Amino acid sequence: MPALVLLGIFMIYPIIWSLWMSFQVGRGMQFSFGGLTNIIRLTQDPIFIRALTNTLIFLAVQVPIMLVLALLFANALNNPNIWGRGIFRTAIFLPCVTSLVAYSVTFKSMFASDGVINQMLLGLHVISSPIPWLADPFWAKVVVISAITWRWTGYNMIFYLAAMQNIDKSIYEAAKIDGVPAWARFWYITVPMLKPVILFTAVISTIGTLQLFDEPNLLTSGGPSDSTLTLSMYIYNLSFRFMPSFGYAATVSYVIVVLVAILSFLQFLAARDRRA
Amino acid sequence: MTRFSNGMKRSLAVALAGISMFSVTAASAAQITVWCWDPNFNGATMEEAFSRYQAAHPDATIDIQVFDKAAMEQKLQAQLASGTTEGLPDIVLVEDYRAQKYLLSFPGAFEPLTDKIDYSAFAPYKVEVSTVDGQTYSMPFDSGVTGLFYRADKLEEAGYSAADLENITWDQLIEIGKAVKEKTGDTLLPIDPNASDLFRIMMQSAGTWYFDASGNVTIADNPAFKSTIETYQRLLTAGITKPVAGWTEYTGSFTSGDTLATPTGVWMTATIKANPDQSGMWAVAPVPRLGDVETSVNASNLGGSSWYVLSSAPEKDTAIDFLATIWGQDVDFYQKILVNQGALGSLLAARDGEAYQASDEFFGGTPVWQNFSAWLAEIPPVNYGIFTEEADSAVVAQIPAITGGGNVDEIIAQIDAQVRQQTQ
Repeated sequence: MPALVLLGIFMIYPIIWSLWMSFQVGRGMQFSFGGLTNIIRLTQDPIFIRALTNTLIFLAVQVPIMLVLALLFANALNNPNIWGRGIFRTAIFLPCVTSLVAYSVTFKSMFASDGVINQMLLGLHVISSPIPWLADPFWAKVVVISAITWRWTGYNMIFYLAAMQNIDKSIYEAAKIDGVPAWARFWYITVPMLKPVILFTAVISTIGTLQLFDEPNLLTSGGPSDSTLTLSMYIYNLSFRFMPSFGYAATVSYVIVVLVAILSFLQFLAARDRRA
Repeated sequence: MTRFSNGMKRSLAVALAGISMFSVTAASAAQITVWCWDPNFNGATMEEAFSRYQAAHPDATIDIQVFDKAAMEQKLQAQLASGTTEGLPDIVLVEDYRAQKYLLSFPGAFEPLTDKIDYSAFAPYKVEVSTVDGQTYSMPFDSGVTGLFYRADKLEEAGYSAADLENITWDQLIEIGKAVKEKTGDTLLPIDPNASDLFRIMMQSAGTWYFDASGNVTIADNPAFKSTIETYQRLLTAGITKPVAGWTEYTGSFTSGDTLATPTGVWMTATIKANPDQSGMWAVAPVPRLGDVETSVNASNLGGSSWYVLSSAPEKDTAIDFLATIWGQDVDFYQKILVNQGALGSLLAARDGEAYQASDEFFGGTPVWQNFSAWLAEIPPVNYGIFTEEADSAVVAQIPAITGGGNVDEIIAQIDAQVRQQTQ
């Protein structure tokens, strides 16, 4: 019973209140009911469209790269013959327990115009002048994507590794005897057996990317020119940087809720179809 | 059981003693709580001001809480929005660009000081930004008067003397930058494509802003705004700038000698002087003006902040008295913070003080403070309004188009549309 009360106060009440908020218009603390005004504003808002596009680009590019990498790492490190696999596993997992601020600062200095990345590329004669990593709209996106990938690949790898340990070894032995090559064993045995886990990681990564805030905020503050602005950052700006517009910020938040619901549903649907 | 109740009694006694002690101190002494950012600049000047006040009011104490600027602004905004006044400080530092936004979106949260402070003693543009409906709310503090800081030694190598940088236009500066690049290979300016500092400097030098005095958008059909965008475009396509990302890279680029100059607020002095080995190599010129806009002058503003008293403050009267007696009239105090923190306040009488007359060896023995205060008096006042952040982000969104050589009229139309959409 106390649990229900707590749940009511800290979960259900804020959800209902934010839904009510999303229909309010006004500045600061003076708001009034605005009906569909916020939703109409949403459709005409170029920054919202930009933030949404950026978020979807991050989602479409980063999540597949990260999950494939995690799967390959997991498969490689699942091989008992690899030397020092404990060290490698830890090394790949460590980023996601690293302090967010510490790693952002490190990335920022690495990708500074006279940072180690540019110096390395210049030294190897890959480029002739330093790339303005964080000052160029395209490269800034690349840096943010690399940062998130670096941080979360190990996290997903752990799920895959755990699931791989549960696959019966005899299946692989049988396949080996039948002369199935390594890539085919991976593609036709490991991947299908991992399907529920892949679905799970895809859903949580999708949700995580749709809520992306920390990396762009610390690395690029959404810039240059809103090229790394995400929906969460836009919500933050609407509430704390711009003229406070809490009602509209709540409306944008509900866009994320709806997107998460739709994308998760589609992913479940896709996973179920393949099984049938 | 006995032990338990003994323990209870003891802790109760301690608690009671604590409460009575607290009420004794509360009755005899007023503690002013202050929120601000930058311990070496704002925190230190506040501390100095209070030590002067305390000499006459030995009972008063102060608690200066220093935050990261963005964190403090978020904390203040969230607290004001929550509607509870508990936990708010007595005095808070507010950046001038945000003042109107706070005053209008949280009416009643700040205490009007119109009758308590003689505002005619302060720079008019500082007073204007904190005035709403005839009531003025701030204790004007640091000025954002701008100057063009440059490496005199390197520019001299290229054949330019201080006189060549006196009262020039941006286009003349571009020519200088090109010549320097040709002769020494050095890049003149660092530019952060995610910052709107340069736009702000250029616009205010012409007495214009994104909004007019009554808050209407004045972006399309504004010759000064158009000239700002065009000038910025010429500057960025002249090959004399270096793109930087964020504050650290920006300040690092000119303190390391990678770039030779930057137009910025007087508060940058402390950062530049933090490299004593560059003493004598630097100089400050007036900020360039827009050549094709008649109203544009060689003086502008960037940033700057003021102290505000919260209406809900428990020590409101002490806080106001403190601000009015020290910050409002103590000329000596302003000399001291100028020397120690490089803080150029906005009390006009302070300009006659000794420290303002002194010359600075770091800047080649020139009377920099006197120059800055002369420029300070020339800054055209503008209305920052309540949507400066929104307008800034609309401009910043178009920077790739501007630097890519896009059509200025189309760019202005885009900015105008976005600002109107965001400020409805």
